[in-house]
Amino acid sequence: MANSDAPTVSEPFPIFELANRYLLYDVNTITYIRAKYNIPGVLIGGLPQAPQQNVFSGIPLELMPEEARLLCEKGVAYVVDDARAHKQGFLDRGLSVEERKRFAESLRKQGQAAASKVKEKAEDKKQTALRQIASGGDWNDLPEDMLKPPSRPTSRAANKKKAGRPPLETGGLDEDESLFASPMNSFPKPAPTSGSRVNPPAPSRGLEPHTVTPTTSYPPLTAAPPPLQSSLSTSRHYSLGVDNSAASARLPEAPSSYPLYKDLHEKGYFILPGIRFGCKYMAYPGDTLRFHSHFLCNSKEWDEEFDMLDLVAGGRLATSVKKGWLMGGMERPSKGGAGLNKPKVRSFTIEWGGM
Amino acid sequence: MDDNAPSRATATVGTQVTANLALQIAHNLRFAHDWTELRIHYEGFSGSGSLPRPVISGLPPKRLYVHPDEQIELLEKQRKQGSTKPLELAPEREWVLPSQLHEQWTLGRFAEVFDALDAIPSVTSDDRATGHVTSHWRTEQPKRLLLATIDTDSTVVYYVLHNGIVKPRQN
Repeated sequence: MANSDAPTVSEPFPIFELANRYLLYDVNTITYIRAKYNIPGVLIGGLPQAPQQNVFSGIPLELMPEEARLLCEKGVAYVVDDARAHKQGFLDRGLSVEERKRFAESLRKQGQAAASKVKEKAEDKKQTALRQIASGGDWNDLPEDMLKPPSRPTSRAANKKKAGRPPLETGGLDEDESLFASPMNSFPKPAPTSGSRVNPPAPSRGLEPHTVTPTTSYPPLTAAPPPLQSSLSTSRHYSLGVDNSAASARLPEAPSSYPLYKDLHEKGYFILPGIRFGCKYMAYPGDTLRFHSHFLCNSKEWDEEFDMLDLVAGGRLATSVKKGWLMGGMERPSKGGAGLNKPKVRSFTIEWGGM
Repeated sequence: MDDNAPSRATATVGTQVTANLALQIAHNLRFAHDWTELRIHYEGFSGSGSLPRPVISGLPPKRLYVHPDEQIELLEKQRKQGSTKPLELAPEREWVLPSQLHEQWTLGRFAEVFDALDAIPSVTSDDRATGHVTSHWRTEQPKRLLLATIDTDSTVVYYVLHNGIVKPRQN
């Protein structure tokens, strides 16, 4: 179960379907389903700080259709058609005038807050810099003897400058010195100007609010769960209700390997897509960050024929990476006792014999 | 043989062929891999009818399969005894299922074979004489058999097939 420090997410939570992908954008939900439902998913988002690398990705998290379906079957999640919800919300005037106004106002406030924050920060920076300059020689934390010219002629030059700043009297040496001297000497002049330029406008003139481009649709839209289960049998298609049709009680379509996925998941395995090893799933005995996977899994129909060569190749590959090659499928219900015991998934594990 | 059931493994290969196949695998086991006490079984356990195809049982020269948990137990035992070399393990009788490379198999056929087999090949009189005891590791784990696959050039490859989900060995 979830750790005490794991975030709590209110169920059912929305899974966003976009271009036949099932996505999660909320890091809390992502953590939550991993901790509570053993569903890792795959992070597919690029990282803004390191856009070139593709080893460690960020949100959104893509769920396999199997994962999305499992969560929906458990009743802890529902699928929202993202494009449709967006269209309904923003283009079809799904939001009332009132709501739009409120949203625009909140955006403007956000922009204003951002603008004043930026201003404040700049002001702070300036003030600290000025204070440091005013407080003495170590204005940039350099040792003093580095700033104070060691040799006599230069110190004299500095004194001269301090005394009255005689224009263009300086020789070659003094020109070198001005590199260091200028900030100290120029201190009295800029200070009042900067003050006069900065201080008065801040209170008097209202800030131009920054333009905020909203990156999320929720809010302002609110995702509401579909009317639950009551119409499950007829809800293969979107219900065409007035306000809620983007979210639906429909279960995501999962591939034919879903029974195997579900069986392994029920047995406590964490499942990742298996393309890296040329199989359907990789099954981990615990969290995928802590364990190596145990099995390379392939799903077959009960009567689906396969080549022995595939089995040999798979078995050998799996053994060479210290795993087992697992093949499983839904057992065909026997003709005699139909309906008595529901069909179960049966799996076989293959390892190299070592001889 | 039930010729009306197309899903049976025997439907793909004739009985005479499977019998010859079993014999060929048995020869490979006996002469290439030093197995002993080989038997070819035509009947399933306790009168469950005939097997889909003949299955071989035999005794390998050394233990063929050690479950990872048993291995941990053995290593601990070894550490307690303070010995540096691994403990000797008595070989166990194994089932061997003969097959050909160009055959097609299904999960259903594997299940059929497993369902017709005992967990452990029947103990021979020789085993009893040597006081052979089957370890609980064998009886508690799902059934297993050795899948022998032969190519037309008579190369045989052997794979351990478990009737269920069994975690891999730490090679």
